[in-house]
Amino acid sequence: MAKPPEPIEDVMPNATWVVDAEVTEVLATGPQPAKVAAKPGATSTGQKTASQTVKLKIKRVMFGEKVAELVVEKPEAQYALKPGNHGPFLIDSTKTILGRYGPDSYSLERIEKALAAKR
Amino acid sequence: MPLPISDRRLSTLYTDWERTSQPIGKDQALQILAEVGDGAKWTASKLLTELKKPGMTTEKQIALAQSGMSASEKKDIGTILDQGKVPLEASAKAFLEQVIGRSAPTPPPPPPPTGSGLNVTGSQANGLSGTTKAGATIEAINLTTAPGGRLHMDDTMVIGKADANGQFSLARLTGEQVMKEGDLVRMRARYADGTTSDWVTVKASGIEGKDTRNAVVALFRIGMSEATPGKVSVDNINASRQVSEPGAKLQFTNSRTGEKTQVTVTDIGGFPAGFQLNGKAGDSFSIAASDGVNNTAFTTAVGNVTVPGGAAGTTDLIPDPALHKDELDSAGKPKFGKVNFTGPLFIGGASPDDVQQGQLGDCYFPASLAAIAKHNPDAITNLIKDNGDGTYTVTFKEKDWATGRFKDVPVKVDGDLYARSYGGALYGHSSNSSDPKKMELWFPLVEKAYAQWKGSYDAIGRGGQMSDVFEDCLGVDASSMGVSAGSADRVWDQVVKSVDGHKPIGAGTYGESESAKYTNTGVYADHAYTVMGYEKSGTERYVVLRNPWGESEPAGNGANDGVFKLKLDEFTKLYQSLYFQS
Repeated sequence: MAKPPEPIEDVMPNATWVVDAEVTEVLATGPQPAKVAAKPGATSTGQKTASQTVKLKIKRVMFGEKVAELVVEKPEAQYALKPGNHGPFLIDSTKTILGRYGPDSYSLERIEKALAAKR
Repeated sequence: MPLPISDRRLSTLYTDWERTSQPIGKDQALQILAEVGDGAKWTASKLLTELKKPGMTTEKQIALAQSGMSASEKKDIGTILDQGKVPLEASAKAFLEQVIGRSAPTPPPPPPPTGSGLNVTGSQANGLSGTTKAGATIEAINLTTAPGGRLHMDDTMVIGKADANGQFSLARLTGEQVMKEGDLVRMRARYADGTTSDWVTVKASGIEGKDTRNAVVALFRIGMSEATPGKVSVDNINASRQVSEPGAKLQFTNSRTGEKTQVTVTDIGGFPAGFQLNGKAGDSFSIAASDGVNNTAFTTAVGNVTVPGGAAGTTDLIPDPALHKDELDSAGKPKFGKVNFTGPLFIGGASPDDVQQGQLGDCYFPASLAAIAKHNPDAITNLIKDNGDGTYTVTFKEKDWATGRFKDVPVKVDGDLYARSYGGALYGHSSNSSDPKKMELWFPLVEKAYAQWKGSYDAIGRGGQMSDVFEDCLGVDASSMGVSAGSADRVWDQVVKSVDGHKPIGAGTYGESESAKYTNTGVYADHAYTVMGYEKSGTERYVVLRNPWGESEPAGNGANDGVFKLKLDEFTKLYQSLYFQS
């Protein structure tokens, strides 16, 4: 972790959906990625967490096809999801969550600005 | 059952539209033409750029696509027209029918104000005015200022609306695009049915007595590579965005040979195909621009771009540390170019908000430098010196474990920094990062020197400890201590002691095993933070922290500048370690 989120200009073009949503269920969890060797107490080690398949209840579709629920993949990444987590999710055509920190990657204000440019 | 389309890429594209119920309008029709019209001469993406070029008429678009279209691709368009389930807008249908010769060219629409559908009249003293279809919105982009930002040539803003008689007036660009005398403004009208007029480009006049704004140049989009021995290819590495305004002249001066070469920027803001310079890997080119009115003698340079590669002793003042492996392509070549930054080393001294972490996993480094800037700013001004010749010397400290003493490690760097294709330094930066002449340089150059000393950006971008950075920058002993729910008083005492003693202090969060507890908190796992200070309110104790990203923080902490405070008991739950100067 610890790298800032990718510039939204690099991520937004790949978004098929932009939704405000809440995680309702973690359906599956992948294997734990290999451990990164790091000095004790170090930060920014880049260690990733396992992939997850999660169900999202969609509160608002800001971009893309209208849907009420989506089952999506959280890739091996530097964050993890649990039921109740919420926020703006950018999701690509393979239903994979974009953004280095999922719903904590970008503020709604920044997403709306980027969406205006995408349109 | 998928539509039987033989062109694989077109088939994928069409399937995507089916899935998303994306109707086919003129833009999608052009994408179809790009896919079927590609061939030996054009790739699909290049052809799409060509099809969207300003001034490209429908007839020219059709002729261009037909020149690269095979019989099977023609059949594919017929299949889409006859069997496709995706809704086709009438204009797109007529257009595609013309492409495969099913219909005669569409008769011209009722006489518009001009052949383009948009007519701009008079001077621009009071904004843009003119005529188009009744009710159309007017969209525009300032092509003179756009290269300095991240805008594509069709990233327009709506600046006005035509009235019932088709007239518009007082239409103005805003923000960084405010029009000045001599600026090039690209405009179009968007009609009620969603279609648009042709692009019209206007040179602003009547605003001021004199054109004083020269063409802006996006140095970070100029890619150079050694093509053949003695020849350097020059490209726009982000072809969908401009290098400079159309028609501007750029002069390249090879710093090694003194040879000067001029080129005119194309109507899509880039270089003519095949543009080359005499030179070799390692050569540095000084670039000057003129819009035909300003800097016509090319006496003022915008900056330098260096051809990657080359041996020591070339004009790159000092060899630069290698990129992090994430920024290398599969062949091990850099995905990013370098730009020479020439801004001031300090603007108003050193402060924490000068520090912004880039796309590098070295949070411990910017968090430490921000801590030093906060609690002991003089140490920063002593750390880096401007040598006055385009180079800077950063003096780190290395502990001799035999004697326990620290010795100086001077590292010399120049102002070349890896940069994004749309502007801004890739790694550590300060505000004004997109302007190589304005960005405050101390933090990105100290980070660069640290990478140089430790081996590369990759070497420092794989995690580390803040206490090591305090030792390396200050030549003093530094320590760390564990934080836990039961250690609140001990943690508080250390924070107060460091802050009151003007000694740098930082904090680190837990790693991936605790990642789930951070989601939605505004605090990030495996991350280092600067401890800025402490506050007390009644019996409540707070730790004030700063995210080295310069943004992203728990809600309710004012402006999103990365600075926030946490109650001490929350701090002890979310943070694992404190790092501080002993």
